[in-house]
Amino acid sequence: MKALLICPMERPSVPRLAEAGPLATAPILGDCAVCHWIEHLAALGARQIEIIAPDGASQVREAVGDGARWGVRVSVTASSIEPTREEAVDQYQPEVKAGWLPAPHDVVVMSHLPGSSGPPLFESYASWFAAILAWMPLALTPARIRVEQVRPGIWVSSRARVSPTAKLIAPCWIGDQVSVVAGAVVGPDAILEDRSVADGTARITRSWVGPDTFVGPMTCVANSLAWGSTLIDWRTDSLLHVPDPFLLSSLARPTSAATTDRFGRALATRRPAEAKHGLITAMRVPLGSTADLKLHA
Amino acid sequence: MKIESNGECLCISEIQELTAVTSASFRDGVGYALNESTSVIEIDLSQTRFMDSSGLGALFALYRATAKRDAFVMRLLNPVPEIEQLLELTQMQQLFEIVRR
Repeated sequence: MKALLICPMERPSVPRLAEAGPLATAPILGDCAVCHWIEHLAALGARQIEIIAPDGASQVREAVGDGARWGVRVSVTASSIEPTREEAVDQYQPEVKAGWLPAPHDVVVMSHLPGSSGPPLFESYASWFAAILAWMPLALTPARIRVEQVRPGIWVSSRARVSPTAKLIAPCWIGDQVSVVAGAVVGPDAILEDRSVADGTARITRSWVGPDTFVGPMTCVANSLAWGSTLIDWRTDSLLHVPDPFLLSSLARPTSAATTDRFGRALATRRPAEAKHGLITAMRVPLGSTADLKLHA
Repeated sequence: MKIESNGECLCISEIQELTAVTSASFRDGVGYALNESTSVIEIDLSQTRFMDSSGLGALFALYRATAKRDAFVMRLLNPVPEIEQLLELTQMQQLFEIVRR
């Protein structure tokens, strides 16, 4: 069975989510949005999925590979526009629809998370957060063997490290290789994406913490999206580039001096007043580098 | 930075940034202007575009220096949303009265 998946173009309402990659590859509960959709369509019986990528086709291709991971064949086609469902049906589907998934799964516009009737994903930062929060109970698919619901409304990866003195308040999601250190409080309505760290006595509530993000001791992340050193209040869209890495910072190893964190990279190039602070973050020595230097010495 | 003493009230304004570079002069300036009759400090943050941990430290030092005085009030006026976010991130909004005028 075939299916067509239409990825979103960059949205002016959520520019920070698309600074390092297309919105389709934005991380959501341990995987990217387009990967969640492929898994969903594969579970519905699709064996051949064509992805229309109006933005960052090569990055989408890199994220999904050839589809073997889901037992499907995936092809990615670049497009200069984001077609509506009707336009895509006209342009890409033959008149005889034999061999396609039944509507509406035959042609899917990736505006929501799969199987969700919750808020649209990319309308605003608030709706992005609300959509992920609403989708948490649906995110546990048979393929996701590493995450389990340890208590009602509390999902924790088997490879996460949660201190016995940390407090998890439902609903919350603790992703793969996340560390929740002694005294930290996570939840309610909190998502810690893969490899993030909530250090001792940090408080994270009504917030999404992106992958590879360090939330420092005694800091309080509330009503926010925190990714790398950037903090966005999803109620007001106010954006703060946190200058001190011990408060909030990226743990990702930079692939170049400019890619220390996804949000911060564009800030350094777009806003001169903030560029110097972006540079400070870019020059910060990532964890593990000290050991590397010793080994090379 | 502008510091005005108006009887019991010490008003500090026109702070462009409060960082490692500027926090020492902020502390010295306010410390010099602060006297026994001061019972209110108002720090206008409406023009403050950047603050780091040194700036937060300067505010906290001022808070500690005045915390033991009876009925002393320290207000932060009109912080821009980014500075308010930083105050919330560090939970320092609990120490100060934040006022919008």
